[in-house]
Amino acid sequence: MTTGLDTGFMLEILPKLLRATWVTIQISVLTVILSCLFGGLLSAWRILGGRVVRAVIYGFVEFTRGVPPLVQIAIIYFALPRFDVVLNEFWTGVVALTFIGVGYTIEIVRAQVESLGRGQSDAALALGLTPWQTLFLVLLPQALRRILPPLTNELVNVIKASALLSVISVNELTKVANELIFIHFVVIEVLIELTFLYLIVVGSLMWLSRWLERRSAA
Amino acid sequence: MIEVVPRLLPGLRTTIEVSAISLALATLIGIWLGVIRAFTKARNPLNWVLDAYVFFVRGTPIIVQIFVLFFLAPELGLRLDPYWVGIIALTFNSAGYQIEIGRAAVQSIGAAQFDASRSLGLSRRQTIWLVILPQAVRRMIAPLTNEMSQLIKASSVLSVITVFELHKAANAISSASYKYVELLALQAVFYLVLILSVSRFARWIETSVLDTGEGGADFQVR
Repeated sequence: MTTGLDTGFMLEILPKLLRATWVTIQISVLTVILSCLFGGLLSAWRILGGRVVRAVIYGFVEFTRGVPPLVQIAIIYFALPRFDVVLNEFWTGVVALTFIGVGYTIEIVRAQVESLGRGQSDAALALGLTPWQTLFLVLLPQALRRILPPLTNELVNVIKASALLSVISVNELTKVANELIFIHFVVIEVLIELTFLYLIVVGSLMWLSRWLERRSAA
Repeated sequence: MIEVVPRLLPGLRTTIEVSAISLALATLIGIWLGVIRAFTKARNPLNWVLDAYVFFVRGTPIIVQIFVLFFLAPELGLRLDPYWVGIIALTFNSAGYQIEIGRAAVQSIGAAQFDASRSLGLSRRQTIWLVILPQAVRRMIAPLTNEMSQLIKASSVLSVITVFELHKAANAISSASYKYVELLALQAVFYLVLILSVSRFARWIETSVLDTGEGGADFQVR
């Protein structure tokens, strides 16, 4: 390519892309908080619930992990209005990503609680705690330390999945970049900035996750 | 819902085709590079290149990678139809993850194996091919089948560059008939069956074909 990069244009669109990055971050952080709340609760049921409850939650986890995120986003997008839930794009996106995120969070919490070993729960039960007390007062506080690194990883996955929300016209980073390409017919400049913004956000989180992992291992 | 099933089958075929071809290509490239990555010295510039590549693949959403290739190919003078752009994009993505799979599998074998066979008089080449790799390959199977389901799911994103795979095929029918939820439910079933059978098949390979008494717990690479 003989023509260099149009750096002036790149600077001009930067504020727009930064605002879109902020939307991406907002959506992702909200999603992770909500999926922790629901995922934590459901994983308690997954561990302690009756046979039917466990089977239902198992089915839900298989669904979220076995169906492409894009299809799940479309399902939420078209299904919510059928139940008379009318949300704007931003919140539809949060709900869709939370739906997927809950499935993964259940598995993370369950795996970490089960990795604690039977001694902990046997001892707590023998001391007369109820199963729910055992889970919430003994097992979960210990598991929390180990849950943090995979949870940061999950945030990375959510940020990457949030790019898919562009198909339901949520104004996040990928959507805004796409629009810029079609308005100005400038391709490479926009794509470079788009890529770098994702790499900065995701890269710093991957670094954080590794740091947490090293700390919790020590 | 029943009557549209035959019309979704060509889309399903494309989904399977695209994922299988990409997995095969990416395995050839990725595992090979991953094994090389595991054996190169820390100062080797090749490491920097491979690490940067892996960082790029893992640090950006798949949809962005697909867009980059889709828009970049014509700028570079390549005229490819979306089907092949899709395969290249998925291969590019999956190879990045498979470098990590190959590297992790080799490094999990442990330096003692390497030192032991060297001290028994095997050459470096013999050690790699006869001692390390046979053990490492077994540990790659589980993450590779996991990668297969990731690819099947990622292939749905190719709908945005008009590859006529399952999701796109279903979209085309639903925008003509307005039966969005029904077609989405059908798709979900198709994908679920596909991915569950892949993972059941994987578990079968792990437990019956490759069960070499290494111990079940040790085998869970994921």
